[in-house]
Amino acid sequence: MRFRVIKAYFVKELFELVRTKIIIMPYLLPIMIVVLFGFGIRMQVTGARILIIDNDHSKISTMLTQKFQHSKYFNTRVSNESEADALREIKKANVDAIIIIPPSFEKNVLKNVKSELGIFIDASFPSRANTLETYIGGTVLNLANEMNMKSGVISLNNRNLFNQALRDEEMIVPGLLGLVLFVAPAILTALIIAKEKEKGTIFNFYSSSVSKLEFLMAKLSAVFALHSLNVFILFLLVVYLFDLPFRGNFFLYWLSSEIYILVSLGLGLLISILVSTQILAVVLTLMLTILPAFLYSGILMPISSMSAEAYVIAHVYPVMYYNHIVYDVFLVGNGFESTKIIEYLLLLTLYAVGFFLLGLLLLKKELKS
Amino acid sequence: MAYLKIEELSVSHKNRVAISGLNLEANKGEIIGFVGADGAGKSSALNAIAGVIKFDAKITFDNVVYTNPKESQKLKPVMGYMPQGIGLVLYDTLSVAEHLDFFADIRDLKKDLAFEEYKKRLLSMSGLSAFLDRQAGDLSGGMMQKLSLICTMLHRPSLLILDEPTTGVDPLSRLELWDILKQNAKEYDMVALISTAYMQEAQKMDRVLLFDEGKVISEVNDKSVSLENLFFENAKKNNKLLPTINISPAKNALKKNEVVMNAKKITKKFGAFIANEKVDIQLKSSEILGLLGANGAGKTTFIKMLLGLLKIDEGELYLLNKKISSANDRKELKSKIGYVSQHFALYDDMSVRENMLFFASMHKIDAKKSVELINKYSMELGFNDYLDKMPKDLPIGINQRFSLATAILHEPIILFLDEPTSGVDVIARAQFWKLLKELKEKMGMAILITTHYMSEAEFCDRVVLLKDGKKVADDSVENFYERFANAKNFEEIFLEFYK
Ligand SMILES: Nc1ncnc2c1ncn2[C@@H]1O[C@H](COP(=O)(O)OP(=O)(O)OP(=O)(O)O)[C@@H](O)[C@H]1O
Ligand SMILES: [Mg+2]
Repeated sequence: MRFRVIKAYFVKELFELVRTKIIIMPYLLPIMIVVLFGFGIRMQVTGARILIIDNDHSKISTMLTQKFQHSKYFNTRVSNESEADALREIKKANVDAIIIIPPSFEKNVLKNVKSELGIFIDASFPSRANTLETYIGGTVLNLANEMNMKSGVISLNNRNLFNQALRDEEMIVPGLLGLVLFVAPAILTALIIAKEKEKGTIFNFYSSSVSKLEFLMAKLSAVFALHSLNVFILFLLVVYLFDLPFRGNFFLYWLSSEIYILVSLGLGLLISILVSTQILAVVLTLMLTILPAFLYSGILMPISSMSAEAYVIAHVYPVMYYNHIVYDVFLVGNGFESTKIIEYLLLLTLYAVGFFLLGLLLLKKELKS
Repeated sequence: MAYLKIEELSVSHKNRVAISGLNLEANKGEIIGFVGADGAGKSSALNAIAGVIKFDAKITFDNVVYTNPKESQKLKPVMGYMPQGIGLVLYDTLSVAEHLDFFADIRDLKKDLAFEEYKKRLLSMSGLSAFLDRQAGDLSGGMMQKLSLICTMLHRPSLLILDEPTTGVDPLSRLELWDILKQNAKEYDMVALISTAYMQEAQKMDRVLLFDEGKVISEVNDKSVSLENLFFENAKKNNKLLPTINISPAKNALKKNEVVMNAKKITKKFGAFIANEKVDIQLKSSEILGLLGANGAGKTTFIKMLLGLLKIDEGELYLLNKKISSANDRKELKSKIGYVSQHFALYDDMSVRENMLFFASMHKIDAKKSVELINKYSMELGFNDYLDKMPKDLPIGINQRFSLATAILHEPIILFLDEPTSGVDVIARAQFWKLLKELKEKMGMAILITTHYMSEAEFCDRVVLLKDGKKVADDSVENFYERFANAKNFEEIFLEFYK
């Protein structure tokens, strides 16, 4: 491997990308997808599923329950089950929030003694959880005003819960990272190799002593460098624009994302070997990445509830593994202590290496005849 | 043992045999020409020897043997290969200087004094020294071709393989290229395999292989043999002459020698660079005007302005005595002009018929009439057997006729042809000129044509010479010969202007 050759191709690639303005693509596309989809989801807080456990059975507690039942924001159910049972329902993603009314609620309120409502909110989607919290608070305040209570008599003891069971399921914003970092690097890789075939400049590779390894290293490293920046841009976007917490290990986030980008590069490389025009490269890459990344990543449908075939496909696509890690670093924070994460990280590395080696093997330094 | 030895070379594409049974031996310093009709298998043979396509053969070069592309890898450092096609190996957005750096880097060349000297020489041969910062996409066709050429020769390969390297290259550069080739062959013991459509050029080589139908039919090393005659005889013998042409006279043919287009002091600037400076040209009906000039002289730019594809910076344009000023005028202009571009602009994924229908609909010709016209022209221009083929599967001579037919579907009165005969074989070229003559005489068309085959200038009624964007001569062919009484052919006249 000669560094000079790789550098020459690398620099040429960047010049071309900048001068043809294609350089915008690796940044615009991911940001657009994350912002569009991310915000699309943020708005929908109607019909939140609320479970009310009324331990007081008084007039005021019934009034409060009715307030919730009449609101279009909530889809309210009242039950007598134990707190533990109710919490299990949150874990199964059957309810979004639980409100627990304490036994002597009415008595305390009438005596102007401070009384506390217990509230548990599913915080898998933090922005949604925030909104829910505000709505619940607003509804309670509304009742307090109607009854001319002194302010501060009813307080909310609010706790956010993280759903272990939701792991591979509805985790949209982190899931979007898994989508864009799968789609964008693959497209660019397929594009810049197919372009050489379409134009004829691939002859410079065919007819010189540039080795297959040098050629691939140069092409892939250019795309890799551009997308590595995206790892940080997307991080800032998710944490600051969507207010997601970041509970995990940044190094794990960075490492897994870079490996994941390599997987995507490898896929783009394989596609570029099949096609010989840019348009085909883009179409085929989109077909092979966007749809599956949506369908099988757990964004639309929980993987555990998929049909047998779909379940297998979801496990074949690398998207799921990365999504799991991203979910962990943002929302949970098990990090390197989780063996599953280590396992997934190794799996992703295996994908990256496998795709690259396969590409290296299949790439021919000759025309298709 | 010979320096280069090729034994029983054959190449097939899918099931079609492109070349078979090629044997060749060459010694150090030899330049060997590959000539033959288009599609005779020259490119396949060159691709194979360059090791960029699957083949069957045993090839030995400098005592290294290779029998497939993979094995040819070891020889790549000493090989130079330029495939056929204008600007194929160039990156549109990289400048001339960046190309040279890139090729020096991927070839891992030491940038020492000798290298700089040689590079300078190549640049001056190609006339590109003044355009180091220009991006390849902004170069003229011939300049692109020359840049590809010098990039291929930059590492002084000892096995140089060039597929029609001089297509679209002007006579002056061609002469200088030959100097360099001959010198490299002598000094660096280089072997060069070069295909060409210029018989004069083939005559300069040490030996010439004549290809036909995927076979080498003869090897000529006697310089007194006229390759052109050999070519024609062979084609006649094999019944390979293209179908004849027979155009019916147009009902409303124009009057002869009427000025149909008048361009006055036309100027075009690209930034600070002046591509055309105050050029005056008159086009008359029933006249073939040859527009000649070295690469980058501004021929294509000028044509594009007359067509309305490029903005005219200064000057005036009249069509049938009417000044072109509004957008409507320009629309009218386009409907009166037919154009075949330097890079045939046909769609490769549509058949000949579909291509023609597509262009007809662009010109808003109704469906019934387009079918009629397509039938008429395909009969008259002799390509009706090819209507359902894809453009890339046609012999280039047929491709060229069909491009022309497509350009005249809307019955224009003016026809612009930008190097229609570049890279086309001798026979197809001769017939193309017959076709132009018919168009001129029977339809009364005004034809403006550019070419780098100086012999073709003789078929023009009038010749305009451009040099560095300025018009330096405008006269009838006879008058040129009168003015330069010592000139044996038009090439010599042309070169007089570039001394
Ligand atoms: N878009 C552009 N930007 C800058 N320079 C340009 C552009 N287009 C053309 N030129 C320059 O204008 C000059 C004339 O180019 P043009 O294509 O007209 O030459 P030509 O006479 O047709 O040459 P050839 O015989 O090689 O086809 C060249 O130097 C070319 O580099
Ligand atoms: Mg031109």
